[in-house]
Amino acid sequence: MLRYAVERLVQAIIAIFGVLTIVFVIMHLSGDPTLLLVPQDASAEMIAELRHQLGFDRPIWVQYLEYLGDLVHLDFGISVVQRVPAIDIVASRIPYTVMLATGAMVVAIGIGIPAGILMATKRGGWLERLLTAIVVTGQSVPTFLSGIVLIFVFGVTLRWLPTSGSGDFASLIMPSLALGAISMSTFARMTRISIIDELGKDYVRAGRARGLSLGSVVVRHVLRNASIPVITIAALEIGNLLAGAVIIETVFAWPGIGQLAIQSIQARDFLVVQVIVLLISFVYVLTSVLADFVYALVDPRIRLVR
Amino acid sequence: MSARIASIAAVLLALTASTTLAQTKDTLTIDLPGDAATLDPHLQWNTDSYTIYRNIFDNLLTRDASGEIVPQIAKSWKYLDDKTIEFQIREDVTFQDGSKLTAEDVAFSINRIIDPKLKSPQLSQFDQIEKAEATSPTTVKMTTKSPYPALLAQLVKLSIVPKAYVEKVGDQEFNLKPLGSGPYKMVNWQKGIQTELQAYDNYWRAKPPFENVVFRAVPDVSTRIADLKTGKADLIRDVPPDQTASVDGDSNSQVLSVPTERVGYMFINAEAGPTKDVRVRQAIAYAIDRDALIQSLLEGYGAPVNIVGAKPVFGYTDKVRGYPYDPEKAKELIKAAGAEGAKVEFLTSPAYNRAMVEAIQQMVNEVGLNVEISSSDQATFLKRRQGDPANAGGLALGAWSCACQDADGIIFPLFRSGSIWAKYKNETYDALVDKARTILDEDERLKLYEQAYEILREDVPGMGLYQAYALYGASKKLKWQPTANESMFVMDMGWQQ
Repeated sequence: MLRYAVERLVQAIIAIFGVLTIVFVIMHLSGDPTLLLVPQDASAEMIAELRHQLGFDRPIWVQYLEYLGDLVHLDFGISVVQRVPAIDIVASRIPYTVMLATGAMVVAIGIGIPAGILMATKRGGWLERLLTAIVVTGQSVPTFLSGIVLIFVFGVTLRWLPTSGSGDFASLIMPSLALGAISMSTFARMTRISIIDELGKDYVRAGRARGLSLGSVVVRHVLRNASIPVITIAALEIGNLLAGAVIIETVFAWPGIGQLAIQSIQARDFLVVQVIVLLISFVYVLTSVLADFVYALVDPRIRLVR
Repeated sequence: MSARIASIAAVLLALTASTTLAQTKDTLTIDLPGDAATLDPHLQWNTDSYTIYRNIFDNLLTRDASGEIVPQIAKSWKYLDDKTIEFQIREDVTFQDGSKLTAEDVAFSINRIIDPKLKSPQLSQFDQIEKAEATSPTTVKMTTKSPYPALLAQLVKLSIVPKAYVEKVGDQEFNLKPLGSGPYKMVNWQKGIQTELQAYDNYWRAKPPFENVVFRAVPDVSTRIADLKTGKADLIRDVPPDQTASVDGDSNSQVLSVPTERVGYMFINAEAGPTKDVRVRQAIAYAIDRDALIQSLLEGYGAPVNIVGAKPVFGYTDKVRGYPYDPEKAKELIKAAGAEGAKVEFLTSPAYNRAMVEAIQQMVNEVGLNVEISSSDQATFLKRRQGDPANAGGLALGAWSCACQDADGIIFPLFRSGSIWAKYKNETYDALVDKARTILDEDERLKLYEQAYEILREDVPGMGLYQAYALYGASKKLKWQPTANESMFVMDMGWQQ
């Protein structure tokens, strides 16, 4: 157990380090923020001067070593665009990202898993066809479209919900729905497949033979066994939801990490991007480790060894 | 069920009633595409930042509705010699903490922004200034490195910051808690979300029109329009021309538009590729139908120009003939240059109107060239466009404004050889624009720019397409006349119930 934890930790550090290095190199090779910061009519000398002041004229490996050196001291640097510590900028966005991810997760699990169960147990009926239609729609409508449609219907036409913002609970509803829709479909499909898989097994037939109804077999026995793949998906989805809400956050003016990430990349605000990359890779690693532990809880046959 | 509908209706009714009964508008809400990067007015120079902080600070000079440079913090000024100018400073201005604004603050502001230690991206706008000193509590003497005609136009962009406060709290704190002498003081800044300002009651010009102003960051234009229609926002910036009908069609909203000093132009590489041949560049100029671009892609929100410059700019001339739309002539020139089917790379980024890029591609292909579009993000685009001519592509669009309303801020950086944007060299042209930036005689400068524009017409290292219009969506109750330099001063706005 301890050995397992240590091994996973070492793997995680290597993975995060690798991601940081790749992002650092790609970002620096594709230009620096100086050109984006200066007014249009700045002369070449002025740009060179500012680039020098900001330190972007040094060789990339010098900048990289300096970055790593600061990182060791937990110094994440100061954003060249906002002139504020990069960690503060990212930290101020985390609560919004967590709120939106939670909202989307509630939508995804709350609708997706029951839908999956119904689709597996009521096969061939009208209910399955209806649910399949919903799942396919949720999966295939691009978020920039579903977001705008939601705003138009519930915001502009019906005036039930605020069109943008982040100040109150009502503002959270539409982005959660739009973001949760895709994960909802994934959960529904995964749950359906796992349950159908389990329903063909001997223990189900045995249960049915003892006179249990299909419903109680599913609830008492199948769900637990079918949950392993669903947990894997959940772990990946949490990572996706925390990192991948770029479009939804932009459409709804929701000030989360995704919006910050895309803006910082466009502005070549290196240090802010690095903090975000660090955070997201950390979340991915953490959720996959957590998923492993949850497997072991759900299914004692799984051991945490290699 | 019907009871629920009734209660919803009652709530809606109450909401409408409360808005119509309100006597004055307490809070004005403005949706911008982004939040301010910094509120220290001496740091970032991007539209979202200065739109917000220029309501917190006053500038040394400003422009009136007609575009003339007029006093603001400076009462008057006079040139002592070609390189020295003396400003008289107003005595009735206070900062938002009650302290008095003096010549010391003005001199400090100038010396601060030109100090390399501040690492200000705006330095290039003020780098011709050598120093400033307060010679009395109401007099500031400023020296430039050489005679510099665009000085006043640049000083329109200089915000005055309080020396004592900045020195006390330091640069970093000042950026987070700015303090100015402008009509609004910053009360709450949720970075990346919104900036809340409150009226400064002792503002020297007059009482500000709204008690509170909120600038929100709403990146998506469809969302900004939805905010406007539902009354969540009273004013929104950057409405694309194809969405103006949707704003105008709303019974509570209106489109406010104004011709600006910004010029839409196309760069044509004169130093590399098939466009190195001047006949090919002229052919491209003949191939483009400006009126079609303006009517079909800008919905008429633009005015055709013959030069790279728009009317509100000093140095603008209508004496230079444009290239008429003449595809036959263009085909002949391409044939004469032996460039039929030659590949021309058209650089672009998401910052430019994709439909316009494709329309121009089509027009130029029709006269015999083979235009290929290369799209990248803005940082990569700038790196190529400003870099080595051989790698800078053959064509690229641009929308240029120096916010200084002077040709020196346009065609000098764009076409003077050695400048990062220029992929062109003509010594006669260089001499003309060099001279025009070092003399103060206005008539003489106008003549020089007219000659310079004539040369650009012959050589076509770029061509003017249209004068851009700024487009805002606003509540019908908002009274505001937008200006050519695209600033948004809340002080100039009003509300009519």
